[in-house]
Amino acid sequence: MSALSSRLKALTRLRCEIFQTSYNPQNLRTGAKYLRKHLRGPSMVKYYPEVLNLSAIAREFPKMGIVDPKEAQRLADVEDRKRRGKGTPKKAKTKADSRRTAKKR
Amino acid sequence: MNNALKAMRNTRVMRDVKAREGVLKNEITRRAYLYVARNTTLPPQVRHQAQLQLNTFDKYTRPTTVKNRCSETGRGRGIISEFALCRFQFRLRALQGELNGVRKACCTYISITPAYPC
Repeated sequence: MSALSSRLKALTRLRCEIFQTSYNPQNLRTGAKYLRKHLRGPSMVKYYPEVLNLSAIAREFPKMGIVDPKEAQRLADVEDRKRRGKGTPKKAKTKADSRRTAKKR
Repeated sequence: MNNALKAMRNTRVMRDVKAREGVLKNEITRRAYLYVARNTTLPPQVRHQAQLQLNTFDKYTRPTTVKNRCSETGRGRGIISEFALCRFQFRLRALQGELNGVRKACCTYISITPAYPC
């Protein structure tokens, strides 16, 4: 029996040598699993697809003539509101101005 | 790519991106400290020092802070990770035929055609 177990041990050691794993017959916590595990960072970083910011590109390269449709629509809406007299009020320059606006409310 | 040209995303998504980058940057160092700290064959003092070093790492360097979120809406629940989409965005994209190999299930007839959007 003991001969058999020693043969098994030798076999395990040999297997560890061949497959380059650490021989640890007493199952001690050697922390080898932290070195063995694959690194997760490289695949983690790739999770979100890269999305281009259209308005930033338009700002960076004005000669390319890129128009961000959302931004263009927003500016058109603001113009429209101004034409109907519903634009943002002008900032009060003096104290009297700000008092007057306060009274209107 | 220039970071300024990337689209601004949901704050939570941006936080998650930060965590992912932190993990990538510190992973090897963290693994080395983990190896020392969890190794019972090393002297306890050394292991303790390694554990103290592990505790000094930023919150956004731990892999557990990373959460798969929807790349379209930033939603954190109901994510189908393979497509990085939440369930509703997944449905919308799938119905439009934008996801390869995904098609709507149908029980009314038996189909023997291979998987492609119908």
